[in-house]
Amino acid sequence: MTQPLAELLVFQVGARVFAAAVQDVVRIGSVRDVPPEELVEGTSLGSTLGRERGIVVSDHQLGTEATLVVDQVLGVRSVPEGEVHPLPAFAAAVLRTAAVAGFVMLDEAPTLLVDLLTLIRERRAAAAA
Amino acid sequence: MADSFDLDDSPRRPRAKGGKAGKAAPPARPARPASRAPRARRPARGAGAAEITDALLQIADGHHGIRLDLASFADPALREVAAAVNASDERVQRDLTEFQVRVKAVSDGVDEAVEAMIRLVVQGDLSSELRLGVTDAALTPLIAGIGQVMETLKRFTTEIREAALQLSTSAAEVLAAATQNESSTAAQASSIHETTATMEELKGASHQIAENAQMVAVIAEQTLTGARQGEGSIKLFAESMQKVRTNAVEVDDAISKLSRRVERIGTVVEVIDEIADRSDLLALNAALEGAKAGEAGRGFSIVAAEMRRLAENVMESTKEIKNLITEIRESTHAAKEASDGNKRMAGEGEKLAGTAMQSVTGILTGIQETSDAARVIHLATQQQRTATEQVVQSMSEIEEVTRQAQSGSRQATGAASELTKLAERLAELVKRFKVD
Repeated sequence: MTQPLAELLVFQVGARVFAAAVQDVVRIGSVRDVPPEELVEGTSLGSTLGRERGIVVSDHQLGTEATLVVDQVLGVRSVPEGEVHPLPAFAAAVLRTAAVAGFVMLDEAPTLLVDLLTLIRERRAAAAA
Repeated sequence: MADSFDLDDSPRRPRAKGGKAGKAAPPARPARPASRAPRARRPARGAGAAEITDALLQIADGHHGIRLDLASFADPALREVAAAVNASDERVQRDLTEFQVRVKAVSDGVDEAVEAMIRLVVQGDLSSELRLGVTDAALTPLIAGIGQVMETLKRFTTEIREAALQLSTSAAEVLAAATQNESSTAAQASSIHETTATMEELKGASHQIAENAQMVAVIAEQTLTGARQGEGSIKLFAESMQKVRTNAVEVDDAISKLSRRVERIGTVVEVIDEIADRSDLLALNAALEGAKAGEAGRGFSIVAAEMRRLAENVMESTKEIKNLITEIRESTHAAKEASDGNKRMAGEGEKLAGTAMQSVTGILTGIQETSDAARVIHLATQQQRTATEQVVQSMSEIEEVTRQAQSGSRQATGAASELTKLAERLAELVKRFKVD
C-alpha cells in the first residue's frame, strides 16, 4: 500500500534550509524582476545572503501577491505524509512566530515546515507597526 | 814675541861690575911677539941708540915709566933724544893716567845708567824716571838714549798691555765662537747623520715606490683591457635591453588583445549564465506546477528536475568559466604589470647602460690617464731613486767633511782655549810692568 505523498518546496535562507507546501507558492521568480516594494525580507527565518530567488505567495484575502526573498530554492521534494509532523507544543510555546507549522524529515534531518502566507503577514504587520 | 820680552834674562852688560878701564879693549896695535919681551935696562956704560930704540919699542908696546939714564949717553944728540923719550913717556903716562880716570868715570856712569835701567826693567817699574848721579857730558847721549829706550819700552808696554787686553777679550770671544761653532758643528753632524739615514730610508722608499708604480702601470693596463671588454659588454647589454623593450611592447599588445578577448568571453559567459539561471527558474516553476498537479504532473516534474539539473550544470560550468576568466584577468593584469615592468626596467636598463657607458668611457679615460701617470711616476721615481742615491752619496761625503770639520772645530776650541790662557798669562805678565 502506497503512502500518500506531501509535495514540499525546499528553500534556503542564510545557512538554514526550510520547507513549504507547494500549494502556498504561486511561482518562483527572480528578485531583480520584482519591484522592491513587493519584496518581503528580514523575516523571522533570518537574513538572506545572496538574495537570488523570490517565492511568490498570493494573499487571497487581500487579492495581492508578495515575494519572499530567499537565498536559494533548492527544489521540490515529495515526501511521505508520515514524515510531516506538527510542531510540538513545547516548540510552539518557545518560538516567537506562528509561521512555523511543523517539521518534516528530509534526508534524516528535521526541517522546519513554514506557512509562507502567515510569515509574510507577520512581516508586513511588523513593518506596519 | 815672548822671547823678545824674556825679562828673566838679564841684559848683557858690556863689562863686569867694577871693571877697570885699564883692563879694557886690547890695544889697537898688534902685540909684539913674545920674543920681544921688555928688555932689561943696559948698563950705563956706553949707552947709545940701541937703548933709545929699545925704550921706544917698549913704550910702543904699552910699557910706560921707562927712564933712560941721560948720563949714560955720551952722545949729546942721543942724550937729547933720550931726554925727549923720557919726557914723552912721562907725558904719555900722565895723559894715560888722566884718560884712565876719565874712562873709569864714564864707565861708572854707564854702569850706573845701565844698572838703573836694568833695575827698573827687572822691577817692572817703567813709570819712574831714570835718576842718575852722572854728570859727565859724554854720557848725556847715552842717558838720553836710555830715556828714549825707557819711553819706548813704556809705550811698547802700554801698547802690549792694551793689545793683551784686546787679545784676551778677542781670545775669549774666539773661544766662545769656537765653542759655539763646535756645538753647531756637532749638531750639524748629528742632523746630517739623521738626514743621511732619512735619505737612506727615502732611497728605499723610492725603490718601493718605483716598484709599486710599475705594478700600478701593469694593473692599470690590465684594468684598461678589462674596461674595454666591459664597454663591449655594456653595448651588448644596451642592445639586449632595446630588444627586451621591443619584445615587452609586443607582449603588452598581445596581453591587451588577450584581455579584450577574455572580456568578450566574460560577456558571453554572463549571457550563458543568465540563460542558465532563467532555465533553472523555469525548471523550478515547472517542477512546482508538476507537484501541484499531483500524480498527473509527476512526469512533468521529473523532466523539470532534469532540466533544472542541466541548468545547474550550466551554471556550475559558467561559474568555473567565470573563475577561470577571473584568474585569466588576474594573470593578464599581472602579465600586463610584468610587461609594463619589463618595459620600464628595459627603459631603465637602457638608461643605466647609457650611464654605465658614460661611466666606463670616463673610467677608460681615467684608466688611460692613470696608466700614463703610472708610467710617468715610474719614470720619475726611477729618476728620483737615482737622484736620491746621489744625494745619499753626497750626504755621506758631507757627513765625512762635517766630521772633519767637527774635529777641526774641536781643535780650534782647544786652541782658542789655549789662546785664552796665553792671553790671560800675557795680561798678567804685562800687568807686572808699571807704566803709570
